[in-house]
Amino acid sequence: MNLNTSILQYIEDVKSGSFTVEEFISATIDRIKMVDGNVHAYLSLNDSAINDAKLIDKKISSNEKVGKCYGFPISIKDNICITGTKTTCASKILENFVAPYTATVVNRLNDEDAVITGKTNLDEFAMGLTTEFSAYGATKNPWNIDYVPGGSSGGSAASVAANECLASLGSDTGGSVRNPASFCSVVGLKPTYGLISRYGLISYANSIEQIGPMTKTVKDNAFLLNIIAGQDSNDDTTIDNKNPDYLNEIEKGIEGKKIGIIKEMTTADGLSQEVSTATKESIQDFEGLGASCEEVSLPTIPYTVAAYYTITSTEAGSNLARYDNIRYGYEMESEGYEYNSYISKSRTKFGPEVTRRIILGGFVPSAGHAGKYFLKALKVKSKLISEINTAFEKYDYLIAPTAPVQPFRFGEKIDDPVTLMLLDYNTVTANLTGKPAISVPYSVINGLPIGMQIIANSLEEKSLFQAAYALETKTTIPEVPL
Amino acid sequence: MVNEEEIIKVAKLMKIDLEDHGEHVGRVKKMLEYFDILDQIDLSSEEITSQEKLLAELRKDEFIPHDKKLIESLKNFREHYVRAPKMN
Amino acid sequence: MTKIGLEIHCQLTKLESKLFCSCKANYREFEPNHNVCPVCMGLPGSLPRLNQKAVESATSIAMALNCATPEKIAFFRKNYFYPDLPKNFQITQLNVYGDMSVGGEGYVDVEGKKIKIRRIQLEEDPGRLIYEGTSDRTKITLVDYNRAGTPLVEIVTDPDFENPRQVRVFLNILSDLLENLGVAEPGLEGAMRADGNVSIEGGNKVEIKNIGSFHDLEKALHFELTRQQSLHERDIEIAMETRHWDDRRKITISSRSKEEDQDYRYFLENDIPWVKIDQETRDVLKKNMPESISSKKERYVEKYDIAPQVADILSSDRYYSDLFENAHNESNAKDIANLITTDLLGFIDTREKRETSKVTPQHLADLVNAVNAKTLTRNSSKIALQEIVKSGKSVKELLDEMDLGQVSDSSEIDNIISQIFEEEKQAVQDAKERPETVNFLVGKVMQKTKGKADPAKTLELIKSKLGQ
Repeated sequence: MNLNTSILQYIEDVKSGSFTVEEFISATIDRIKMVDGNVHAYLSLNDSAINDAKLIDKKISSNEKVGKCYGFPISIKDNICITGTKTTCASKILENFVAPYTATVVNRLNDEDAVITGKTNLDEFAMGLTTEFSAYGATKNPWNIDYVPGGSSGGSAASVAANECLASLGSDTGGSVRNPASFCSVVGLKPTYGLISRYGLISYANSIEQIGPMTKTVKDNAFLLNIIAGQDSNDDTTIDNKNPDYLNEIEKGIEGKKIGIIKEMTTADGLSQEVSTATKESIQDFEGLGASCEEVSLPTIPYTVAAYYTITSTEAGSNLARYDNIRYGYEMESEGYEYNSYISKSRTKFGPEVTRRIILGGFVPSAGHAGKYFLKALKVKSKLISEINTAFEKYDYLIAPTAPVQPFRFGEKIDDPVTLMLLDYNTVTANLTGKPAISVPYSVINGLPIGMQIIANSLEEKSLFQAAYALETKTTIPEVPL
Repeated sequence: MVNEEEIIKVAKLMKIDLEDHGEHVGRVKKMLEYFDILDQIDLSSEEITSQEKLLAELRKDEFIPHDKKLIESLKNFREHYVRAPKMN
Repeated sequence: MTKIGLEIHCQLTKLESKLFCSCKANYREFEPNHNVCPVCMGLPGSLPRLNQKAVESATSIAMALNCATPEKIAFFRKNYFYPDLPKNFQITQLNVYGDMSVGGEGYVDVEGKKIKIRRIQLEEDPGRLIYEGTSDRTKITLVDYNRAGTPLVEIVTDPDFENPRQVRVFLNILSDLLENLGVAEPGLEGAMRADGNVSIEGGNKVEIKNIGSFHDLEKALHFELTRQQSLHERDIEIAMETRHWDDRRKITISSRSKEEDQDYRYFLENDIPWVKIDQETRDVLKKNMPESISSKKERYVEKYDIAPQVADILSSDRYYSDLFENAHNESNAKDIANLITTDLLGFIDTREKRETSKVTPQHLADLVNAVNAKTLTRNSSKIALQEIVKSGKSVKELLDEMDLGQVSDSSEIDNIISQIFEEEKQAVQDAKERPETVNFLVGKVMQKTKGKADPAKTLELIKSKLGQ
């Protein structure tokens, strides 16, 4: 059984009877058992996956109505809640947390007969770019297990790249879908803010984060977005997308389109030679597809990483305040403790990076410091939005490499917080402005992937997929060596 | 300039027991120093904005009881009450 | 000069659901922790969903207090750790990015003095802590989250009050106004609470918190004024601080400096988009607001010739004015008004009696009609009303059942008068000599007929029998 297949191909094969859902899901689980010891993409598996598959096979054989997904296997980042199963956020503080409800995105997948394989690894509470900050051990990059898979949705990206499922849902606060997509050579979308319901996503920085699909192909990504996008009465920040079919006209091409190459992201000091070369090649590809490319400057970009970390740590400090181990959490007898000492002690279960972000989050919005940090950060966001909106008056798309570097070795960058922060340099703009952005696998140099990022205007996902698909047709990616 | 004492005070406010605060303080300081870049940009004409919604689009005022006995799925409860540590 | 300001918290108990979820707004009927859901328990992954009607109710309060209401409102997080706060932050409002709370800059007229309203904001109530035994001895704290997320309106006044009495008058006016708006039930236990701040000439401002009732507020203010004056007389500086009202000892106690240390890190609650309330929407809200108390009073006096003190009672109490409005027609308004204020008021003088009362507007209209048609005396009507409050029986039923029909048949009354004349010889003699004592005899007849005799006819017959 070839597990390295697309969702769309899988559906055709199931429909034509080439294999049953159960056969494919069994093979996928065998694959997980074989490789996940090395990759560590999963934190927990869905014990009833085979049963779920059988039920869908039964529907198919008895000609009942079958959901659009036909049982394809999908993994879910472990900060998205599924009722009755553990949702840990890769944190010790939520080690035993079982959500009494299911995220809207997962409900929509279930309604369309997808099969959930399990929950994937991440940096604790999605704070990180390498999964090294997971409390349960890092995920390895399937292209080379000595290298990081990116993060924070590293488990999701690795599970797709290692053929341990056909797709995954990640979450993207500052690049957490696109960065690991780039590092593991999968397609990752951060949609327009409000396009996908966050109900059931455990908040890190709620004003800018979105759930995003991660797939092997651009078409699969559009297919998945069709299922999970749209307004949700459980999330007041969701917006009406008028339900377009993102797959329809995806092959339309980008002839005559105008593309702005973001100057600050393609000339920054941190950009590696390999990524820089790949970017130049991709520009030639876009031109070859009939688009016109020119450099565009968004002068606020050098300030965005500082603004991003200020905003996210402020929101994290508040969002993570609820983990006081009183209503839920882990076993720790409260008798004999005074309230403040009890919660301060129980909160030592947070890992080091989360601890630091919480401290930052207590500092930058505090009465004495908000003027210097937090309010400025919000204004950087406003200024960036004005700049990018002006750019979209002229350009259909903005492009830049997804990450300034290729995957690196474990431990290589973890010691310097500023170096780590700057890995987000090319991705935070889409979050701060709410614009949709996609990472498309572009090439593999020295055995390590490089992804290109395309940004479009708000709610222009359909057009974004057309550009991503066009670029995809220009690339040849080798098989993952695992 | 941010000092160690200030950071330790904030950690206390955020209910974080710093055991080996040395490393945290160093890294937090480095991050805050990097944030100084925000002093270099002119933001005088910027206003804070947000997503907006019409009053009529908000949730309608209906009582819908939660379908599960939520309390029983939580830890630390006794005879319908959640147990918290004593207040000082 | 003495300056007192108030922060009043009022629950919007007339709403069906909580501020950000579909649990019941009035949590009082539930077992502990049985009016909760993932949203009001702040479980990870849940999101707040703002109640439209809560915004409307809060806006109408702002309008009724003559406040400016903004085009857009925003919500903020007030961050602090406390076991009654499931998220360890409270969603509330703040005016840091312009005026974005539901209202501001209003006023209330209190006996000719303008008390300025600084700000009105919509926020969520926390849960409740229950201490086992005395709070300093207990080993654990019990928490009930049923109240968590109940819609609360905070009304902040300027320090415009000069004495505790003005505060009391203001709070009475405010309670009536909120009840009249149909958004709150200030009489419900814990539904309306107030904190105060007090300063005297030359002294710092002192905040007083933890006051359970309006009654205690007045006591706390008195205590605090006396305390400050006595410090002042001894030339001791009055410290700027927060003090807690000790309900048991009836004194205010300095809170440890922890309040001052607190940094709430206010910032925008981005899970709730800014809510646009355009002029047209505000106009509709204003138009749909119930008639104000002062306008009602004016109308009752002018249109129906109701005495001002009667109109005052009727208009300031939503329960009575609703009864009145639904019972009267153009011709009987004055009688209905009098029936309510002279008879009904005494029968349902407590909250419980009011809640269990079976009186309907139809009852009142029927009673007044019966009296005017002389099928019922005023006296019997009062007896009937008392029974209606209890049983809710119709006036017609009671006329039959209780034998209340007015006796106006001359021969029947004559018979009774004859009996009385036999029994009360001395009184008859008195009445002959001093005609003004005749009422005693009329009273005796009424007593004998259980108030059913037509009083005018009785008097006429007695006088003729006395030869007057």
